[in-house]
Amino acid sequence: MIFRSLFWKLFLWFWFTAATIIGVQAVMIWFNDVETMPERVNRGPLGEGLTIFSETAAQAYERGGIDALNSLIIRTVHESGTEIYFYNGDGSPITAPGGDNVAEVVTAVQEAPPGQRVSKVFLGRSTWGKQVFGANGKKYIFIARFRAPGQRPPLFPPSRIIAMVLTAGLVCYLLALYLTSPVKKLQSTVKSFAEGNLDARVSPELGNRGDELAELGREFDRMAERIAGLISSQKRLLADISHELRSPLARLTVALELARKNSTPKADQALDRIEQETERVNQLVGQLLKLTRLESGAEEVPPEAVALEELVQQVIDDADFEAKALNKSVKAVRLEQCRVAGSVELLRSAVENVVRNAVRYTPQGSAVEVGLQWRLDTAVLTVRDHGPGVPQSELSHIFEPFYRVSEARERTSGGVGLGLSIAERTARLHGGTIRAENLPDGLLVTLELPLASTAAPSRSTPEPSPVHT
Amino acid sequence: MPSVLLIDDDAELTKLLEEYLQSEQLQVDAAHDGPSGLDKAQNGQYAVVVLDVMLPGMSGLDVLKQLRQRSSVPVLMLTARGSELDRILGLELGADDYLPKPFNPRELVARLRAILRRTANAQGAAPGQSLHVADVEIHPESRSVACDGKPITLTGAEFDLLYTFLRNPGKIISREDLTQAALGRPMSPMDRSIDVHVSNLRRKLGSYDGEQERIKAIRGSGYVYLLPGEQS
Repeated sequence: MIFRSLFWKLFLWFWFTAATIIGVQAVMIWFNDVETMPERVNRGPLGEGLTIFSETAAQAYERGGIDALNSLIIRTVHESGTEIYFYNGDGSPITAPGGDNVAEVVTAVQEAPPGQRVSKVFLGRSTWGKQVFGANGKKYIFIARFRAPGQRPPLFPPSRIIAMVLTAGLVCYLLALYLTSPVKKLQSTVKSFAEGNLDARVSPELGNRGDELAELGREFDRMAERIAGLISSQKRLLADISHELRSPLARLTVALELARKNSTPKADQALDRIEQETERVNQLVGQLLKLTRLESGAEEVPPEAVALEELVQQVIDDADFEAKALNKSVKAVRLEQCRVAGSVELLRSAVENVVRNAVRYTPQGSAVEVGLQWRLDTAVLTVRDHGPGVPQSELSHIFEPFYRVSEARERTSGGVGLGLSIAERTARLHGGTIRAENLPDGLLVTLELPLASTAAPSRSTPEPSPVHT
Repeated sequence: MPSVLLIDDDAELTKLLEEYLQSEQLQVDAAHDGPSGLDKAQNGQYAVVVLDVMLPGMSGLDVLKQLRQRSSVPVLMLTARGSELDRILGLELGADDYLPKPFNPRELVARLRAILRRTANAQGAAPGQSLHVADVEIHPESRSVACDGKPITLTGAEFDLLYTFLRNPGKIISREDLTQAALGRPMSPMDRSIDVHVSNLRRKLGSYDGEQERIKAIRGSGYVYLLPGEQS
């Protein structure tokens, strides 16, 4: 939902606040205007002007009667839209009587002390009245209705309010943008960092801001710097150790064989043991190097099309051959054609590691079952053993390097604990996933890989395609 | 006594290997960096070269690339374990076989003997007869191959592999048999060398008319060399 974002929240709330303030202000000004307007008219130059005009009108009426009065009115004010009414002192109209609140004002003028100006607002127009005395002292009542200056009915025209709200909207938009853009940048940097780009930093994006958000960004950068340093030194250490172990190991194996040539048969058992342990260290070093390479992103996935079913079949053949010696077997349950894009070698070692792991744990006399099916856009490889499984709470950890499920399990298996990690990293590198689940009698490892983007292979094609190596 | 050239920067290792290989009736010479190794390999009369991929300065792959421009001396590559890329690159650049390092010297001797046996067969024993299969001509006595009239350069292993295929066109040959024929040794589990050699051969020969493939993989069985118009 887009309106849940901080930007929209800030923007809409700011704008809403600004619009409310504008609205309240407009209403207040309008009330204020309405209340003070008659007063302002009375005191201001308009009041003076009307007083003079009222006297002129009285003189004109006394001199020339209704006709003179009318012509004066027409001549002077008619075009301005101002209405003038003239009453006798007793309230009887001389001109045509005025509508609306004119009668009310006439009454008010009659009741007011002589000479006081009365002004009332009705429907956006001012009705102004005053007693006037003729030359012979005769009392008249003068009424003017007009749209008074300063009284804007309705006080703020809608267009003006809309313009103000829109302007406020623009300002709020810019403000929200200004506040949230560093958050956005921070977010995208954190995301990229989390995805493994350890060089991602926020500071260059933020320019020379100095506020708390920029401070947060700088703190993030410091943290990222430290994490990247730790990770890279750890990786380098691992790679260096593995590499440096290799040379003495190579010499050790040669020296061992030399010793074997010159030894008596009594030493054979010990020498065999040395050889076995050397091979174990050797495998560990190889896997460590491979894992480091996968983790560091040094391995690139070529966009090669890989016939997964061929590869799986080969792995099954090889693993079955090895498993026979342990009175175990590996068999294919169902292999469907699956093309995935990636590196044959990496994928092979991933599949191999999962299958070997299964062979290790399946009891003697049982078979590891391997299946490969495609579902929609995914190749699904399942490897099932009949071993003891893994405690439920530890299922998600078995893909971590060197994770040991239990001492008892490990002691007999002789594994080095990196095979599944390598499989997991490889799956991830190819955009796939790997997971493990317990079955009533064994463990099921499922490796999912996205199929190559070409059309899905048809299930019925019996013809295998060539191995791409 | 056949002589072996070891190109490895680990002098202590080459010394130990020297001792071991001599006890196996192999004469050993050693070089400890790329340029001097290349020099010796090009000029010396070695039966086989053992080349470490990880060399300071000039890498083993560079040495191999330059060596192959002038010499067809068999090369056994020592690759880092866990680095399939080096291995594939090495085989593509014309190495005859590879061994992940650290290796068991017994295995090294077995591989060296396989290579020596194969080269001895190629040189000593009566060469097989020339074959002409579709557009490919192969002449064992001169170890030359031409496809569509154009000469093609193959490594020793690739040549033996192609010869095996051409003697049995249209027949499925198991990967075990192919390994034995081309590399002169039995196939070991998880061994992919033969697939790399087959894929090199495919690449060098190309497909018929750019469409039909020549060498087809048969799942669980091996490979088959197809004749034009043949569908497995």
